[in-house]
Parts: sequence; structure tokens; C-alpha cells
Amino acid sequence: MPPLTDARKQTLRREMEALLGKGAVLSDPEELLVYESDGLTLFRALADFVVFPQSAEDVSALVKLAQREEMPFVARGAGTGLSGGCLPAEGGLVISLMRMNRVLEVDYANQLAVVEPGLVNLHLSWAVGPQGFYYAPDPSSQQACTIGGNIANNSGGPHTLKYGVTTNHVLGLEVVLPDGEVIWIGGKTRDPQGYDLTGLFVGSEGTFGIATKIIVRIMKKPPAVKTVLAVFDVVDQASAAVSAIIGRGLVPAAMEMIDQLTIGAVEDAFGCGYPRDAAAALLIEVDGLAAGMDEQAERISQACREAGAREVRVARDAAERDLLWKGRKSAFGAYGHISPAYMVMDGVIPRTKLPYVLGRVNEIAAAHGLRVGNVFHAGDGNLHPNLLYDPREPGAEARVVAAGGEILKVCAEVGGSISGEHGIGLEKADYMPLIFSEADLDCMRRLRHAFNPTGLCNPGKIFPSRKACGEAGIAYRPHPIEEKGLAQRF
Amino acid sequence: MDPDLTRRLAAIVGPRHVLTGIECSPYVLEGRTPEAVAFPATKEEVAALLVLAGEDGLPVTPWGGGTRMSVGVTPARPGLVLSLKRLDRLLEHEPGDLTATAEAGLTLGAFQEALGRRGQWLSLDPPNARQGTLGGILASNASGPRRHLYGTMRDLLIGLTMVLADGSVVRGGGKVVKNVAGYDLPKLAIGSFGTLGVLVEATFKLRPRPDTDRLVLARFERVKDAGAAARALMTSDLLPSALDLVDPEALRALDPGGREGAALLIGLDGLSEQVEWQCAELPRILGAGASVATRVLDGAERDALWQAAGALPRAAFAEVTAVMKWGVLPSQVAEMVESGGDVARRHGLTAAFSAHAGMGIVTAILGGGVLGSGGGGAVAATAVASALGDWRALVHAAGGHAMLEWAPLAVKERVPVWDPPGAPHRIMARLKAELDPRGILNPGRFVGGI
Repeated sequence: MPPLTDARKQTLRREMEALLGKGAVLSDPEELLVYESDGLTLFRALADFVVFPQSAEDVSALVKLAQREEMPFVARGAGTGLSGGCLPAEGGLVISLMRMNRVLEVDYANQLAVVEPGLVNLHLSWAVGPQGFYYAPDPSSQQACTIGGNIANNSGGPHTLKYGVTTNHVLGLEVVLPDGEVIWIGGKTRDPQGYDLTGLFVGSEGTFGIATKIIVRIMKKPPAVKTVLAVFDVVDQASAAVSAIIGRGLVPAAMEMIDQLTIGAVEDAFGCGYPRDAAAALLIEVDGLAAGMDEQAERISQACREAGAREVRVARDAAERDLLWKGRKSAFGAYGHISPAYMVMDGVIPRTKLPYVLGRVNEIAAAHGLRVGNVFHAGDGNLHPNLLYDPREPGAEARVVAAGGEILKVCAEVGGSISGEHGIGLEKADYMPLIFSEADLDCMRRLRHAFNPTGLCNPGKIFPSRKACGEAGIAYRPHPIEEKGLAQRF
Repeated sequence: MDPDLTRRLAAIVGPRHVLTGIECSPYVLEGRTPEAVAFPATKEEVAALLVLAGEDGLPVTPWGGGTRMSVGVTPARPGLVLSLKRLDRLLEHEPGDLTATAEAGLTLGAFQEALGRRGQWLSLDPPNARQGTLGGILASNASGPRRHLYGTMRDLLIGLTMVLADGSVVRGGGKVVKNVAGYDLPKLAIGSFGTLGVLVEATFKLRPRPDTDRLVLARFERVKDAGAAARALMTSDLLPSALDLVDPEALRALDPGGREGAALLIGLDGLSEQVEWQCAELPRILGAGASVATRVLDGAERDALWQAAGALPRAAFAEVTAVMKWGVLPSQVAEMVESGGDVARRHGLTAAFSAHAGMGIVTAILGGGVLGSGGGGAVAATAVASALGDWRALVHAAGGHAMLEWAPLAVKERVPVWDPPGAPHRIMARLKAELDPRGILNPGRFVGGI
């Protein structure tokens, strides 16, 4: 797209203001700055406009206008994404859904809710909480991130081990297609006829259109919950315990691993009661019926002890449980206390490969002269190595990027994936060939073409560019809302 | 039969793995005979067969266990039946990862047996697991009672390899339980009825087999009471793995010795302590007044009842004249079952219903005339068709959807198999055109003529 002339920009601005009202269109460079990146702040790109629709009709009109002008457009929620997925990579229009944030309907008898995309994830659980319900997918940014953004990224969270990720909780969507048509896909009833467009749309990173209404499942809160902390002197023992627990026929709600460097950082910053001299700790949670809860906790404790745990502790009350979770969830804030910057990786491996891959991660970091902290969803093999570095040090960023690429390569080699929950976006587009063949990617391009034939809907994402794979990768600095303590990373 | 075609097929799969002429008779669909049946042993052979079919413009009918071939619009020309029977290996099962990868022609029964030897299972229980293949179950999105807790294929499939019409072998998803890299091709393939590609390999999330597994049969005087009890159960602290509702006609077929009335079939599994506690709680939740009798089944008795429930669409009546699948809201199930029965009676027909009550999935089974076989012949297709038309109208009025799952050709000619596709059809047709531009895969079988 050729750059817009000032005169043309003024005309378009007026047209969009006529559509949305004053105060719903931003085009001053200073106002646009807020929207130049998401949670991955090293990618920056300025849009020509940021607009705030309030209905599907508004979104449809904006999309049609963008198509008419051959102007790229991208939907944006809270901007907490971690792969640059909502960046206006090629200028154009950012469509913010933040003014469409209502809970439209809750049907407790049928355990579903209809919401708008700009609704904050946690606000849905708050809305249905008084009736004993909650929305299960719990990305750690859930205090800030929106359900619409969760749809784009098929977001996960610690408790997805037992309850599944976003796609397992979405029944239907009203979407504005890239040509502006508004349609419903899926619905309140199960097994809708035809292709599972809802399943295909969730996780398509905003390249298939813009969701304007979302039907989600809500779940009854589990009547009982138990949280266990297991402490290990050797990382491999903690990894072995993960497989041993699964081998004993248990499916915990969450199973998180925290390594020594991270424990140190957390204890320095917050003092949550994790033993500093431990090589690794596992935070394991089981929930469900009150009956059998003690036996489950006992089986877990036993598996941990047999794997070599030096201490296994069951949280006695809600306060102790909250403190343990605080340690897990504040890990990223804690890194800030021990390092000026860090890059968070997101890879997935088969659970049984944990000991090998964690060893390799440490070797790779050491070879590049970097410190690495690991805090991650061990239960589903979703690694989050955090490479700590000082951006003022010449060459540090390049070393981080190189180490990150090598880690993703190891994930791919052991049969894993290059993203478990953060998405591909801009960040990992060039790593896609690590796990997909040219034929696989071509098939995906055909799917995109079916929805988005002009390519104007969120261009430049997911698919590798022509540049060499090794050049890709981007380092991390804290996002403004994270610095203010408004959100966690995952 | 074109002898040249036989020769070319044989060149791909070997002469022993091609059937022609009368040998094709087990693969006749509603009187329509395929030109040939081929049995590839590898995905490369599948690819070569599809390239050949593409060159000739020959329709291809992928075939797994054959248990769901009657679902969908009957093909005008079955063309080449592509049987996945020889692609039946379990490729990988790592218990510590709770995942397994298998070829699409493996039957679910054989898959479960292998997984069970190591204490795990694929938490899906569609009918006909012994004959049904993984590929067929995926392609037709088959499910069973335990979907109440464990979901359907869309919650279990994590990776998929399929061969597209142009012979390209493509993969989506992967082998790990959590993965957001790339578009969710596995979701697109589930329930696509072989119209987008031939499924050849799949990777699944598994679960540990529960220590204890019971089936509680709770009888009620009326469908309405059973429906109320199902709703009470859903808001209770209990976590049943299955919650099926059967109406009096279906119950009679399941439990001929029993008295009149409707029933709930409640699955409870997990640690024995969990199951025992739930069994003890049940009477209180179901309502002492409504529940007229409760029986707890285990072992062979339990398996037999679940199997019989799965076989209802074939066995509810001596003469089943049509089977419809409805999707409604869970809270509407009992009412829809009762109204559906009224509709059938108005047309002088018998009907039986079973439902996954917590999911709103109803199987509506139409039998013969109310007066039994006294009419001295088959029920007229017109009567069946007009009852089905009224059923569909009833379901649509309630905001649900209805699919004609099985009916004789004479009925299928009068009643559409699928609902009108509505606005999403445009995108569905484009997806089909992108992946199968020549339209050789199961042409016309799917929604909206796809």
C-alpha cells in the first residue's frame, strides 16, 4: 500500500468519525504510539488509524472501508499478546475491540455465556462467579487480556492441563469476515452441521476475520481443591515425577515447575516460602469432588517421593495455597529484580523428554553466556525458558535471539512444537519450517485464502517470510502494563 | 469396468489389492456400485490413487469400517472406493506422554485394546467401536455417552495427517498435547465426511483408565421427570461421565423385563471413593419421588447396557424406518422428546428417543406403524418423510439443528439429509474448492451439496 497523503488521511478520518462518532478514531502519531506494539515490545509498527467500534455493524463498515481503500487491518484486544500478532505490520487500520466488552447473556441451565470480544477474561469469571460458575481457560494475563484475544491465540494457562485450552470452551462465534459480511459460525447447540469453522477460526491469529460475539462454555466451580508443593534437589527428579504422576493414572488440574534461579528471584522479591536451595519445585493442583481428594494428594505425594523429592507439602488452607500460587505467578515480575531484561520462550515437548530438553536448554544458554530461568507448565510439556540479559551489553540481544532459536530447534527435534500458547504472530513466522513442510504451509495458505482472499486481514503473520530462518527471533522488554503490575506473562 | 483403470490401480497397490466387478458388492451404496475398490497400504499409495482419480475425474469414496457409510447424501457415482483397511498400525504409544499415534484404518476397538494393556484409553465411546475405524470416527465426528465429561474428537485429536485431492500429504497439529502453531487443520477435518482429504494418520490425547466405572440406571415414570432429574444432576456437585436419557420406547428395547417409564443412564467413573460417594448421593439428587427404581451396574452388565444403548438406532424396533440426529439445548431435551413422540403418533408411527441429555444431542428413531405389522407391508415412504419433515420443523422452531442420519433411499429422496447451510456455506464451499478444486472427494455427500 502506498503511504496515505495527509489530505486522504483527513478524508478517511472524517468518514470513520461519521461512522463511529468523535473520539473513536485516532490518527495523531502520538496517540498511535500506545498501539505500536503488544506484549513483545521489540516489534514496533505504527498504524495510520486506531478505531474503536461498538458493534458488529461498525466493524463490518470499517472492514469494508479498509477493503475499498486496499488498506490492511488488524483486530486488537488488550495488546497483551506475546508474538506481535496484533501489530499493524504494514500500516493501515488497527480495530480495537475494547469498547465491545459486555457480557450479553448468561444461561446457567445450559452452562454457556454470550460475550463481546473486548471483555476481559477474568471479568467473565467474576460475572458468573456468584452463581458458582467460572470460565476455565486462565492465561496468566487474565486480569488484562480479552476473550477476543484469547480466541485469536487459542490461549492456554496453568489449568488447561485438565480442562483444555480456549478452543475446547468456545461453542460459536459471530464473525465479521474479511470482506465485511457478518455471519454466525457454530452456535449454542453442539455438533453443528458442516465444517467446524469455529474450531478453525479459534487460533487463526486474526487472519480469518474479527469475532464480534462469542459463545463460551462456563463451568461449575470444582467443590474441592488441593495444592501440593514438591521440592527436589535434582531437576531430573522433578521431571521424572511429572511422568510418574501421569503414570499413576492421575490428571491434576495444574502441574507447574519452577527452577532454582526462579525460586531465588521469587524469594528475593516476594518471599512465598519456596526453599532457595532446591534445584526445582513442582506445584501440583488437583480439583474436583471432595471425595477421594485425600487419596489423590497421597498418590501424588508418593509419586514425588519415589522420584526423589526431599520434601512434599500439602497446602493446609487457602492462604497457603494462594501464597504458593503467588510465587508461581509472580515469577516474571521477580526476574525484573535480578535482570534488566529477559526473553520468554514458548515451546512444547513430549512430557517424557523433559529431562533431556531442560538439560539442553541449560547447555544452550551457557554456551551463549546467558542465564536462564525456567518456570512452566510441566504437566503438558509447555516450556517457558526465560533468557536473562542486559540489553545495554553489546551483542547481548543477538546472543539471546540465537539461543532462543536453538531452543525452538530442540523442541522441534524431539517431536514438539514451537508454540504452546503464545502464537506464531510475527515472532515465530520464520521458525514455522522447523515443524511444517512446504506442503503443510501451502495447505494452510489455501485455508487463509478461503477466508481472506485479498490478504488485507492481518497480513504478514504466521507464514514465513523469504529471509533466512536464523535471522528471526526477537528479545523481550517489559510491557508497560506489566511494569505497572497489571498483568502476568503466562 | 475399464480394464485400463484396473491395470493402473494394480500398478499402485498391487493386483491383489484391487477389487472390480462383482467383487465390489460389499461396497455397494444404496444400489450404486463403485467402479473399483482399492486397498492402499501406505499414505504414498493413497496419494498416488488420488492423483490417478484426479486425472480421470473419477469420484473417490474413502471407506473405513463402513459403519457410517449411509450417513450423508447418497453418492450419485461412488467411483473408486478407497479402503483404509490396510493402514491399520498403531505407530506410537508413549504412556508417559499420554499420547498415541495410529493409522486411520485401525479400528477403535483394536486401538483401545492396545492402549488398555498399558492402563490408558482414548476417552471416546461411539457405537460400533469394533468395526469403526479411527479415520471413519474422525470423518463423521462420531461420539458416545461419555462425551458428557470427556468431550468429542475435537477435544481429543491433537495431530492429523491427510492426503489432499492433488496427492499432497499434509500435516496439522502435532504430537504434543498443547500446540498453537499454524491453523487447526485437525478441527477442520473432524466431521468433514471425507470431502476435504483422506485421513491417514492421527495423534490423540489419552486418559488413564479409571479405577472404577459404574453405570447407574435410574427409572422414572415420565420423560419429564427424567429430564428434571438430569438438570438437577447437572447443577449438583456430582461429575458424571455420561448422562443419557431414554424414553419409554427406547427403554423397552433396552430392558424388556422392566416396567414402563423413562430412564437416565448415568456413568460414574474415577477413584473408587469418588464413585462410591456419587452413587450414595444420587438418590437424593434425582429426587426420591421421581426415581422409581435405581440399579447400579458394573462389569459385563454395564458394558452390555452401554452397548445396547449405542445399538438403539438399529434395534429400537423390529423395523426402523428412519433415524434423525438433533442438536438442541440441554434444557430442551425432555420437552423435545415428548413433542417428537407426539408428532410421530400424529403420523401413525412409533418413535423412540435416546439423548446425551447434558449435551442436547438427541437420537430420534422412527419405527413402523402404530398398529404393528398389521398393515401387511412396509410403511409408506411418504408417511415417514412427512413425519421427518415435521420433526425438523419442530427442532428448527426450538433453535436447534436436525440431520437425517439414516433412512432408506426412498425416504432420502424426499427429505434432505442436512439442514439448509445458511450463511457459512459460502466459506465452506470456498474451503472445499481450495482443497479439492476438482471435487473428486465424496462429491455431493456433505452439507449444502459439498
